[in-house]
Amino acid sequence: MSDFNIRAEHLTKDYPGTRALDDISISFQSGKVNALVGKNGSGKSTLVKIFAGAISSSSGDIFLNEEKLTFNSTSEANAKGIVTVYQEMSLVPGLSVAENIFLGRLPKKNSIIDWKKAYKMAGDLLQKMKVDIDPHETVKRLSMWQMQVVEISKALSFNPKVIMLDEPTSALAQNEVQSLFDAVRALRDQGVVVIYVTHKLQELPQIADTVSVLRDGKLMGTVQMKEVEHKDIIDMMFGEVKVQSRPRDIEVKDEIIMEVNGLSREGWYQDVHFQLKRGEVLGIAGMLGSGRTELLRGIFGADPVDAGEIIVEGKTYKNAGLREMKKAGIGLTPENRKLEGLILIHSVLDNLCYASMNLTSHFLFEDKPMRKLFANKQVSELKIKIPGINVTAQSLSGGNQQKVVVGNWLNTSPKIMLYDEPTRGIDVNAKQELFAIMWAQARKGISTVFVSTELEELLEVCHRILIMRHGRIVEEVNPDQININELYEICMRGE
Amino acid sequence: MGILSAQKTLFNRKKIGVFLLDHAIEVILFTLILALALGVNNFMTWSNWMNILRANSLKGVIAFGMTMVIVAGLIDLSIGSTVALAGVITARCCRDLTAGGMDLTTACLIGMGLSLVMALVIGWFHGFFQHRAGMPPFIVTLVTLNALYGLAGMVSEGFPIANQFPDWFNFLGGGRIPIPGWIVNLLGGGKIDGIPVPAVVLIVSFFIVWYFMGYTTTGRAIYATGGNPESARLSGINVGRTKMICFIAVQILAVISGFMTSGQLLAGSFSFGRGWELDAIAATVIGGTSMNGGIGKVWGTLLGVIFMGVISNGMTLLNFDIYTQYVVRGFIMFLAVLISSYQAQIKA
Repeated sequence: MSDFNIRAEHLTKDYPGTRALDDISISFQSGKVNALVGKNGSGKSTLVKIFAGAISSSSGDIFLNEEKLTFNSTSEANAKGIVTVYQEMSLVPGLSVAENIFLGRLPKKNSIIDWKKAYKMAGDLLQKMKVDIDPHETVKRLSMWQMQVVEISKALSFNPKVIMLDEPTSALAQNEVQSLFDAVRALRDQGVVVIYVTHKLQELPQIADTVSVLRDGKLMGTVQMKEVEHKDIIDMMFGEVKVQSRPRDIEVKDEIIMEVNGLSREGWYQDVHFQLKRGEVLGIAGMLGSGRTELLRGIFGADPVDAGEIIVEGKTYKNAGLREMKKAGIGLTPENRKLEGLILIHSVLDNLCYASMNLTSHFLFEDKPMRKLFANKQVSELKIKIPGINVTAQSLSGGNQQKVVVGNWLNTSPKIMLYDEPTRGIDVNAKQELFAIMWAQARKGISTVFVSTELEELLEVCHRILIMRHGRIVEEVNPDQININELYEICMRGE
Repeated sequence: MGILSAQKTLFNRKKIGVFLLDHAIEVILFTLILALALGVNNFMTWSNWMNILRANSLKGVIAFGMTMVIVAGLIDLSIGSTVALAGVITARCCRDLTAGGMDLTTACLIGMGLSLVMALVIGWFHGFFQHRAGMPPFIVTLVTLNALYGLAGMVSEGFPIANQFPDWFNFLGGGRIPIPGWIVNLLGGGKIDGIPVPAVVLIVSFFIVWYFMGYTTTGRAIYATGGNPESARLSGINVGRTKMICFIAVQILAVISGFMTSGQLLAGSFSFGRGWELDAIAATVIGGTSMNGGIGKVWGTLLGVIFMGVISNGMTLLNFDIYTQYVVRGFIMFLAVLISSYQAQIKA
């Protein structure tokens, strides 16, 4: 196959209020793994979606060799040989590998499915990827990396010129990543343009040939992987970060309100120790899959733990349920607000009063005026923007939804709030308001544990940051004495 | 100015549309009653309405329990068999315990007590295996639907057990509460039927379930559990207990319905209550309760019960044969679900 490339020229994408892509000109060569990196919100997924035909650009053009491309749908992009493998798997677990690869277009003979041919074709595709997966196998019996390879094979079955892989290793265990990389290299060697989207920099030296860095919708440059250092890429990703200072008037008391002793859950986190002071905002940094979410859920009693204890105000809890931890004064805003934090079809009023139900009732009977009072209090204190408390939670923006989840728990008058990725998918203003809420609570003596993938947020908000890696707390840092690049480095170390 | 006023009327028309859609069941029921009142002799009479209530209260009582179960995101298909079982257990106790020399009232009370205990056990069984073992409620209750039907047949040895109940038990199903003379005079005098006891039970159970669902923390927990069990759990709601309460409540209402049914028909038989689960579900769904859980009004279910009753009654008065009635009822349920699906789509 001869050399070719896919390019963007002066590509810009505007959304109301933000410019997701700003005059991007970039080119990806065939026969190479072209890494596309950037932190969340840097515009890399927008760029991928434009190439994939999922969205259109505001201005600028894309070209495959010298042919200008305009897509109205992803199927038009597929027809031009551009396919995307998304993070979320689209496989049907109960079907065989071959059926999944040719889903909806199995080869037929006399209008009857030609299984022999289907298995052979699937086998050939997998052969090309140099992996040993039986096309007859049911997908649910495969390991994660094998599923990812099947997903790629499915893309490959369209005879693509360009394959875009969106964070393909995000769900994989460490040892599986190598097997996937072998398959990606096999793919590259067939002369396909591989665009590899990732935020895991430690993978780059192993898999990438070129690296393009996006930051805030701008292309910071494209470099040959061989010619750069790790540190250079980090600098390109983050630039000079201006970390906003947190209010200095928040006084962290010396009194320890919560102590976590040797908390462990098999396969998720091991032997976690830390202390939380009254009025402190404690951050937990770590990459996806480091066990942060599971740790918070373990402390909150939402999931059982295997060992260890939690001491809240001198009282010891061992594997207590969440209703007991709630009584102890702990609240949790879960990672996925839509699926775990809210009841979307119910009103804001209801959603603000679920956790505090026992406080807004007498014996078994609800006190309706009290419920309204509780709800309105949070609406005004947290500045939740809604036309009225009777609108459903699903009609709110992400930021307001998150505030409702927070308000639900603040209504219980907690002593400790655990926030799991509260800023995901909410806009900058809402983020700032959320931080202000955390600080306001801290002034009242409520302690906070704040988990986030956004390291600059942790630096901005927290008094102290614990770093979690592979289910262990490996380090504690003072946000005043560390910059974002160093923090990133520590989180990634040993990956 | 012109644009502004045009927008305003448009807005108002939209508002009326939304109101009509929100109250579709009320509007349709009212129209139906109006049409029948105008077109069918003897429909809009006191005695006909008492008949409608008498015939539909038996299933209607269960529909309120079904509403609780469906709002909690569950289903109970077994209630028809519970109706039968409550009847045959009580009848059997009346017959066999009195044969041993026991007083009839005591024997009957023992039978009723046993039936209620059975309701607790079945409800617990459903709740335990649904919540702890994660079995689909459809399957767990389908199993008990069949098993309890068989059990009712075993208890009654395959035949109806007739004429065993004390009179006060028969009164529960067939009795009427006479209307005080002054009200009769107020209504124009003459001979007026009393209110059937099952209708009173229907209204009382409506108020209890309505209050329970709307004004207690457990009611709130039922809506939360059906709306999103994981969010409910993470808010500290005891989801397992909430489901259990619903499963037990619908069974207890089914047992009460079983008492009334047997009392009305003066017998206990394993064939009573066959298929009633579908009528209870139909009334619930026609009343606007979402089969996905989390949304539903007990008031709507009461309307659904009356709706089903009025349709059957109207068709009987118009001499529709029983098979046609099935087809029409099926079609009406289809329409009701179509409307509520449309409502859900608009709101989403």
